[in-house]
Amino acid sequence: MNLLEVRNLDIDYVTQEGTLKAISDVSFDLKQGESIGLVGESGCGKTTLAKSIMRLLPKNGVISKGEMLFKGEDIVKKSKEEVRKLRLKEIAMISQSAMNALNPVYTVGDQLIEGIRAHSNATKEEAAKRAEEVFKIIGLEAKRLKSYPHQMSGGMKQRAIIAMALTLNPSLIIADEPTTALDVVVQDKILNQIIEIQKQINSSMVFITHDISVVSEICETIIVMYGGKIMEKANTKVFFKAPYHPYSLGLQNAFPSIKEIGEELISIPGSPPNLMKEQNGCRFQERCPFRTELCQKELPELKEVGEEHLIACHYPEKVNEFREDAKKRETWEGVRNRLIEESVGEA
Amino acid sequence: MSNEPLIKVENLKKYYTVNKGIKDIFSKEKTYVKAIDDISFVINKGEILGLAGESGSGKTTTGEILVRLQDTTEGEITFDGHDFMTKSKEEEKRFRKEVQMIFQDPYETLNPRFTILETIAEPLKIHGMKDKDKIYDRVIEVLEIAELKPAEQYVFRYPHELSGGQRQRVAIARGIVMDPKFLVADEPVSMLDVSIRADILNLLKRLRNEMGLTMLYVSHDLSTIKYLCDRIAIMYLGKIVEIGDANEVIDHPQHPYTKVLLSAVPVANPDHKRERIEIDDEVPDQINLPEGCRFSPRCPFVTEACKKCDHTLVERRDKQWSACIYSDEELILKPSTNQ
Repeated sequence: MNLLEVRNLDIDYVTQEGTLKAISDVSFDLKQGESIGLVGESGCGKTTLAKSIMRLLPKNGVISKGEMLFKGEDIVKKSKEEVRKLRLKEIAMISQSAMNALNPVYTVGDQLIEGIRAHSNATKEEAAKRAEEVFKIIGLEAKRLKSYPHQMSGGMKQRAIIAMALTLNPSLIIADEPTTALDVVVQDKILNQIIEIQKQINSSMVFITHDISVVSEICETIIVMYGGKIMEKANTKVFFKAPYHPYSLGLQNAFPSIKEIGEELISIPGSPPNLMKEQNGCRFQERCPFRTELCQKELPELKEVGEEHLIACHYPEKVNEFREDAKKRETWEGVRNRLIEESVGEA
Repeated sequence: MSNEPLIKVENLKKYYTVNKGIKDIFSKEKTYVKAIDDISFVINKGEILGLAGESGSGKTTTGEILVRLQDTTEGEITFDGHDFMTKSKEEEKRFRKEVQMIFQDPYETLNPRFTILETIAEPLKIHGMKDKDKIYDRVIEVLEIAELKPAEQYVFRYPHELSGGQRQRVAIARGIVMDPKFLVADEPVSMLDVSIRADILNLLKRLRNEMGLTMLYVSHDLSTIKYLCDRIAIMYLGKIVEIGDANEVIDHPQHPYTKVLLSAVPVANPDHKRERIEIDDEVPDQINLPEGCRFSPRCPFVTEACKKCDHTLVERRDKQWSACIYSDEELILKPSTNQ
């Protein structure tokens, strides 16, 4: 059964200079117990998407179209009070920087207990007991509940945030770059713990990151976003062996690996589209080395190219040719030269 | 690449005093944070040395000392045959010309009120170039080297009009405008998106290949170090624990800390099963350092003898030094620490 079904979601940010279409027409399903890795460049809409599931968008963020069915009920239509009840109990978020997520003037334990009591009928003692339990699971000593955030290291604070998210065994965990600010040894350990707990309580997870190697290690499914749209959705194993979308091919070239020697990194020339402007055709066409006239005119739909493998490209049948060419530096240099010519033309 | 050292660091120390309270201010005994504690290394001409380690290991401090943003507590540094610490004004000015730095955050290193032309022209003016046309030509030249093309389109723009990657290129252009001999790059790509990181790394590589620039690349990201650097030094709590050829160190780590660090790097290949070495992830207090080897409280191979370790670097493989008292073959995993 699908825990979450997102259908044709549009999210706009209303600003003084106009409307920014952060998410346009995004649909995907999340199964019970599944973990999806959401990757993409800054500004591609991944954090906006995650926040909208919790209905935590900033004031100028509007869900202008679409629905998000969580256990069959549309989150978009829920009242503030109803959404508040969902949070923490059903959907919990592990946010990016633990330093800003914890209140500096309360002990960590008090913050945990407050959360538990606000969303369940637990007494103070029960809540305190539960807080101790989750601290133990995540590898923190119970006496740390009495600490203030400033008395803890970055890793401990991030653990406390994770403990908080897990106190009520939520069915959906949203993790927004939970380990970005941490050292690699700590990151590795915490990621492992998140996955273990997620499996234990059989919750689903949306994991947001810009690091595709992390997704390869911990998620079953990967969604690649670009310019507010889904470019590719696939099983992680399939994706890393044989990505389809030209953007995914480009990302693979750009990523340094500790295991390989001598491979040359190639980046994707250009920058992401300005979503304040009207977009024509495929979002990636400006930086795509394989674009045609069709790509500039018509937006490609998400199409199935294999089992649960979706891509938004007009030319799925040319994938073998694309894969070959995408490995060559000249292919991407061509895009760079074209972009330079275009910018000269404009000026 | 020659084997002539451009920079030679000997027994470098950097201690910060800490005042914990009013008592400390009046007491004669000072407590220190030993950010860098007696490290020595050389960087050869035309070489890129990568400096890796956790936060608090002293890698950034080392970088800042090498561009003289910080003073040393003790130790000797020679730069291109000259004593690094000479304080005469002339020497200082010459030094500033030859050593440049690129910082992590391209959003904060550029003055928002300066155009790109003004930003890059500033060092030229300070070092006595007056002719406006010459300045303009030189700025165009370095912008093109930094691959901001067509350069004429960028010179009159302000930083807010540029993307993160473009800003980092401007910072690099400013860094190379004086034709320096040595460049310190402190996490220059960690704020950038993956799709443009490769560009900046390739640019730095090209600067070395074409201009013979010597570089210190400070980063916590071992994959980018492996891609860019010739040699790598791994730091832990103010000490160099391992130094050697970058590929060799990453493929055949000798020091337990290097092994742990490498086993924690995620790999973008779902079939690849990593062998994790698990350790306690809390770094010891930097003021009350452990006796002997600083890594010993967390080390999965620790023995009694580690209390006597003084971090002397031992050549364990060809030109690869480790500060562990044991060789690779002698390291035996303590059964209790690894699950």
